[in-house]
Amino acid sequence: MVILREGVCPGINEEFIKALQSEDIKTGVALVAVRRVLLAQYTAFPVSGADLYEELLSSTAILSTGNPSLDKLLDSGLYTGEITELAGSPGSGKSQVCFSVAVNISHQLKQTVFYIDTKGGMCANRLLQMLQSKTPNMEEQMEALQKIKVLRVFDVFSLLACLQNLRSNGLQKASVGGGSVKALMVDSVSAVLSSMLGGKQNEGMSLLMQVAGELKMIAKDFNIAVLVTNHVTKDGNGHLKAGLGQSWSHAPRTRVLLQRIEGAETSSLRTATLTKSSRQACHLVEGFDLCHWSEERRTSISGKRKLEERSKP
Amino acid sequence: MHRTVPSLPLAPSVKVKLINAGFQVASDLTDMRPLQLCKEAGISQEEAVEVLQMLRDDGQPHQQRAATESLTALDLLHQEQALGSIVTFCSALDDALGGGLPVGKTTEICGAPGVGKTQLCMQLAVDVQIPVCFGGLGGKALYIDTEGSFLVQRVADMAEAAVQHCTLLAEDTEQRQALEELTVEKILSNIFLVRCHDYVELLAEVYLLPDFLSEHPEVRLIVIDSIAFPFRHDFEDLSQRTRLLNGLAQQLIQLATQHSVAVVLTNQMTTRVSNGQSKLVPALGESWGHAATQRLILHWEGLRRLASLYKSPSQMEATIQYQITVQGFRDAPDEPRPTPATSAVSSPSGNHSKHPRMEDRS
Repeated sequence: MVILREGVCPGINEEFIKALQSEDIKTGVALVAVRRVLLAQYTAFPVSGADLYEELLSSTAILSTGNPSLDKLLDSGLYTGEITELAGSPGSGKSQVCFSVAVNISHQLKQTVFYIDTKGGMCANRLLQMLQSKTPNMEEQMEALQKIKVLRVFDVFSLLACLQNLRSNGLQKASVGGGSVKALMVDSVSAVLSSMLGGKQNEGMSLLMQVAGELKMIAKDFNIAVLVTNHVTKDGNGHLKAGLGQSWSHAPRTRVLLQRIEGAETSSLRTATLTKSSRQACHLVEGFDLCHWSEERRTSISGKRKLEERSKP
Repeated sequence: MHRTVPSLPLAPSVKVKLINAGFQVASDLTDMRPLQLCKEAGISQEEAVEVLQMLRDDGQPHQQRAATESLTALDLLHQEQALGSIVTFCSALDDALGGGLPVGKTTEICGAPGVGKTQLCMQLAVDVQIPVCFGGLGGKALYIDTEGSFLVQRVADMAEAAVQHCTLLAEDTEQRQALEELTVEKILSNIFLVRCHDYVELLAEVYLLPDFLSEHPEVRLIVIDSIAFPFRHDFEDLSQRTRLLNGLAQQLIQLATQHSVAVVLTNQMTTRVSNGQSKLVPALGESWGHAATQRLILHWEGLRRLASLYKSPSQMEATIQYQITVQGFRDAPDEPRPTPATSAVSSPSGNHSKHPRMEDRS
């Protein structure tokens, strides 16, 4: 092919040719080879629908949350490769649901869970209490506790550093040690982002989209179920809706709104409403009790009856 | 270093210029010299130096470890057990809180005027200094006063009562030795008092706290009494207030976790009217409710003072009665058992009490 000389094509000048020659690239063939390598590394290749379906069947797992009502709402559990969001006002039980799910995954399913805590609400004592109600065996409790890994970050830049680090080597290191990572929880995403949005700040949206992008890439590349929590705001009619605005609403695939039940006899009852889902009709409501997370499982015979009784608010 | 350039903590204008010049990943920048970076990206010399300095600090081993270090829940459990909690001298409240106010978390105390928030804060500032051999933390306290309600004479009374209480409990020689050093003067000298007059001073003080805590590692309690006052009067832009408060809350929880201190914030109450009914709710807005890790609401019920644990990561909701005496914050005499309740501020003479009250029916 053509020897590289000045003026062969726009963009090639003397300096450029000298730099290429020092790397031993003298003809156009080498440049075309470089271009091919770059294309192979960075482009997305088209995949047929059948292959995609096969890949989905083989790689997606559904993680049960441990609570039958919540599982029904989420179409049998948390799907890997997707972001699920829990929104609720203060004290509605978002962190408690995250703890329960983490304990279920680490104890029942025996998989590793990463928990990113941005509010200081992670309380290992509570995890131990939950494990103690599931099994009296100390060793099993300790083993389950060791499978839950906690990361504490308090501002959005540290969160991004943490997520990027997980994506590049953290997750691989954790799965090498035994027990694959199947879930990542971020509690909560709104605590670090809400102080950056609004007003005259122009960086907030960019950071929000970066966090969303990182979480989606982690979910897809490593086949992990991502669970995030969010705060609530009131819309024009006074109804509750999840915070962080329209842009964030496209990031999670499934969104659940948690609410307290006013005037209930026990203070630990909650309702969960499905506000966005690609698999089920929206506005499904399920009630559940935070205290008795998986009590239905113990009585397997009368399980169905108990579930119906508990669903009544 | 796998950081992308958009995620670095730099000024937005600098980041735009760096991205336009073709730098996508932080590792592209590490081998650059300031003058080279200046020419290629079109930023000023100072900005280039700042960028490289930030990258070098970020690449330090201890910084990287902080972002990537993950504790297992088991390690966290051991850490929590080692941290301990601050007793309040009201045994019912201590039981409801699981031993006392937890160190390493932020607790918010809300209440109507006169119900006892400042009394509880002053009691905690004294209780944090109880020596380790008596079951306390033996630490110092930092009291940030924004309302001007800190009264030294009252703290002196509480300190004296605490010393007397410890004197009655002292059994072995170690405790007696610690008791000799525990005097009212020493207790008062271990409380650092800061007076902030408006929100700018409060934000500046919180910004300076990490340095203060590094110089005084024995501080175990920070009280901000109250956080509502400087933000409630004469703040026009409410969305800016929400943003400032959220940022403040994150800074405080970061301090609490990194320096192992308990942070106590006091909040006021406001009235919310909905459907023709009015009820008392904590001030500073809905989103502030997410800020503190634990929320304690103090309220009146007739002549009784009640404290309700409204939000907590590890304890069940509970309502207990307390009283304020000459000695400070103490248990109420007739009802020492905690009674669970649904919602603290839903209705004043609620239908959530387990036993009938004759005086309410009349």
